[in-house]
Amino acid sequence: MIHMNQRTWGHARALLSRSRRVGWVDLLIVAGVAGLVFGVAGLAREWTGELRPSIQIDLDDVWTLPRYTLLSLSRGLFAYALSLVFTLVYGYWAAKDHAAEKLLVPLLDILQSIPVLSFLPGVVLALVAVFPRSNVGLELAAILMIFTGQAWNMTFSFYHSVRSVPTDQSEVAAVYRLNWWQRLKWLELPFSTMGLVWNSMMSMAGGWFFLMITESFQLGAKDFRLPGIGSYMTVAVEQGRADAMLWAVLAMVLMIVALDQLLWRPVVVWAQKFRVEEGGNEPAMTSWFLDVLDASRLLSAIRRWAVRFQTRRAAVRVRRPARPALAVPPGWLAAGSRAAFLVLLAALAFGAWKLFGLLHGVAAAEWLATLGMAVWTLGRVLLATALGTLWAVPAGLAIGLSPRRARVLQPLVQIAASFPAPMLFPLVIALFTAAAIPLGLGSVLLMLLGTQWYILFNVVAGAMAIPADLREAARSYAVVGWQRLWALYLPAVFPYLVTGWVTAAGGAWNASIVAEFVTFRGQVLTTPGLGAQISAASNRLDFPLLAASTLVMSAVVVLFNRTVWRRCYALAERRFSLNK
Amino acid sequence: MTTAPAIPPAAPAGDVLCEERGVWQQFPQPNGRPLRVLEDINLAIHADEVVALLGPSGCGKSTILRILAGLIRPTRGEVFYHGQPLRGLNPGVAIVFQSFALFPWMNVAENVGMVLKAARLPRDEIKHRAEQVIGMVGLAGFEQAYPRELSGGMKQRVGIARALAVDPEILLLDEPFSQVDALTAESLRAEVIDIWAANDRNPSSILMVSHDIKEVAYMADRILILSANPGRVRTVLANAQPRPRDYRSPEFLRLVDQLHELITGHEMPDVDEAAQRVAATLEPLPHVSTSEIIGLLEYLDARGGREDIFRIASDTNSEFGRLISIVEAAEMLDFVDTPKRMVVLDVRGTEFVKVGPEDRKAIWRAQLLQLHIFRLVSDALKRQPNHKLDRDFVLETIVMHMPHENYERVFHTLVGWARFGNLFAYDDDSGMITLPLGS
Repeated sequence: MIHMNQRTWGHARALLSRSRRVGWVDLLIVAGVAGLVFGVAGLAREWTGELRPSIQIDLDDVWTLPRYTLLSLSRGLFAYALSLVFTLVYGYWAAKDHAAEKLLVPLLDILQSIPVLSFLPGVVLALVAVFPRSNVGLELAAILMIFTGQAWNMTFSFYHSVRSVPTDQSEVAAVYRLNWWQRLKWLELPFSTMGLVWNSMMSMAGGWFFLMITESFQLGAKDFRLPGIGSYMTVAVEQGRADAMLWAVLAMVLMIVALDQLLWRPVVVWAQKFRVEEGGNEPAMTSWFLDVLDASRLLSAIRRWAVRFQTRRAAVRVRRPARPALAVPPGWLAAGSRAAFLVLLAALAFGAWKLFGLLHGVAAAEWLATLGMAVWTLGRVLLATALGTLWAVPAGLAIGLSPRRARVLQPLVQIAASFPAPMLFPLVIALFTAAAIPLGLGSVLLMLLGTQWYILFNVVAGAMAIPADLREAARSYAVVGWQRLWALYLPAVFPYLVTGWVTAAGGAWNASIVAEFVTFRGQVLTTPGLGAQISAASNRLDFPLLAASTLVMSAVVVLFNRTVWRRCYALAERRFSLNK
Repeated sequence: MTTAPAIPPAAPAGDVLCEERGVWQQFPQPNGRPLRVLEDINLAIHADEVVALLGPSGCGKSTILRILAGLIRPTRGEVFYHGQPLRGLNPGVAIVFQSFALFPWMNVAENVGMVLKAARLPRDEIKHRAEQVIGMVGLAGFEQAYPRELSGGMKQRVGIARALAVDPEILLLDEPFSQVDALTAESLRAEVIDIWAANDRNPSSILMVSHDIKEVAYMADRILILSANPGRVRTVLANAQPRPRDYRSPEFLRLVDQLHELITGHEMPDVDEAAQRVAATLEPLPHVSTSEIIGLLEYLDARGGREDIFRIASDTNSEFGRLISIVEAAEMLDFVDTPKRMVVLDVRGTEFVKVGPEDRKAIWRAQLLQLHIFRLVSDALKRQPNHKLDRDFVLETIVMHMPHENYERVFHTLVGWARFGNLFAYDDDSGMITLPLGS
């Protein structure tokens, strides 16, 4: 009797405590939705407000920074949405139209190598001219800038996924006559989801890199400034306010962590459904945020209601004949693709002609000087990559070989990699001036600051992927010290290291623009280099020089990719792949 | 190439549903001549029959099936469906894949429902039809399961349900049970035949591809025996045994035996091989590894030097087509003889098994040098002043003399055999063939 009583009590208490928690979660959800609505309304006001090219930023107002963080975040998310749409359209087109593919893929390669700053003056001036009265033009310009830092690798990932759908499944789609839309929806999109999600995370991080520039920049005599963390930081640096700088850094870190936990983690957990390999040994990822949402009574009620609504609608629809699927006749699709291709070709020809016109004004001596600058910057990029390798390989091995350390440190490394390094530059420059390190050398360290993490987390991933039997073999034959490093660890992580190098070097080229040309306490520090030249040309609105130096940078990067990195990849695949 | 006369094979009763006439298939190879996969295939599928394509690996069985489905356009020849030349996909077929080819992100019901949606059936019809076929293959209750939760046999049930869902006139089975465990395969065969046997509904006919002789004897009414490189129809055999068939009945055993004879008669290197040798001057190397050849010799030695080839296949659990390639290789090297279905260890084979590793290499090397291609490479190597030979030279030689072989694979086999005999060394990084170390 007593026993039974206790049991009943236990049940009742459990029920009570559960319902209490549910209420708490539901309240938070309601508050979150309300906040979102409020935020969107504020954003709309901000956008449609009268054009203020340069706002005054009060560093001492407590509410400035949280509001600015949300504004920067909204720009990042808008840009991401834009990147996603671009990725799906461009990637799908490149994968499906074999004629267009021959142009689209190299074009993407070139776009990827063009630094954000080279787009900036043109885009801003054009958009401000289109929206002369409201903030929309400036905001759109900022979003487009972030977009150029996000889109390309996502597009490459999607394109490759669509191209590498397994033959059998592709035959299933053919034999059972899936139309193009069904094929995309049921086969190609699910198959690309994993890669797209990982690249989205990378892209989002990459998009923040130039936040300080995209939100506050000088064009000629004009000073443009949008409310956001980036411009807050810029003002803090101008005024030499160390406390405000630290607050901005903290806000940025919080934003990155929040994005990771509230957005990407749940998305990754959801995307596991689309894993292609079966019987995965690795434990499934979980997200505390999703678990909390699962406990919500409000959400489950909404879900139940949605299901009921759907079935009711389906019941109504039953009597009607099947909804004609989105069956565009294949001929139309091909014709559309052909037309779009011609338009693109015309646009490119027009662009090339314009570019030629611009470059006409560049003297031979200037070209020569630009090439010299490219050599300087190439040297810095390689030095930064080498330095990064030097410390990141041992550190990555130390982390990756110990599951315990990897579990704790891997997320931290990822966050460090997502943090936009230029926000730390002022602090580092202060150290440089104190230690009398010239910027010529210092800029290498600045590049390193941004790109070393790519090497590190790739090495960590590679070290974690070394098969246990190989490690056991090395241990049982007493292969120790340097020999183990040369015979086992380095070859095993080499393919990952190459990926790290390619990403890091790409990042370093981009970083050269802010590393070789630094504004610090109201004065400009520069060192000879292609990045500095692009920055200066962009500031002065010297379009011919900007075009010339961008062209040179793009050419060097693409050439380097085609020769050195591609060869490294081939070597990694042939000699050091563990999948054979 | 001569023009092949389009002679339809001896036709059993029933209307012709679908037909391949004079089909040739070549695939382009990177920087080489086209690889010929099929040569003059004539095949008709009649109503209410089960046709099987039986042959060693690499005989293009699956390609014939895909041409019939309209997935591949033949290089030459035509496919007819109900007398009309086929343009694009064949509207009357569904394929069951060897690898199942399910979509891992869809559960059983969604995998089946997907093809019905693609066929633009109304919603209630989709639900009804999916339930029906899922029940038919014994998967009722598994509708919500994802492929990763299912065993191989269960997955193939989903594959079969998906195919049946679209109500195909001809069901195409591409080695459907080769990735399913033996016992499950047994029951699936019977179930598929039961489904087919119901006369009032589709599928009217089945075309299956297999390398399993018993499976074919159990299921098929007509068996086409193919030969490899390039794939050709060698013999067509009718199988009129009443159903349900009994694996142990004398007729069944006789048919299995007959199939064995036919296959060995075609595939075991006898007269035919000599004719090819004259024509090509360079012998096409069977793509098998040295360890497989030596394994065969050891096996024979442990069994008194002779054994029936089908016994070997079942003893060693090896795929039949593969074993034939191994025997062929051993015969090329003069290690074994193949009177009829027997594989007999030769004098040199016996000697090879008896001696130690060093002497084995010596014998192997001597046997390799009996083959034109090894002699050719070896001589060329000796003629070079620095005793180095570029990989491309050998590749070109192969392309010149065996235009329809996959030259990369021939090269791979060549290097493997030569390395074992220490005939020459090869460095993949530099792509250079050199004399072996210490010679």
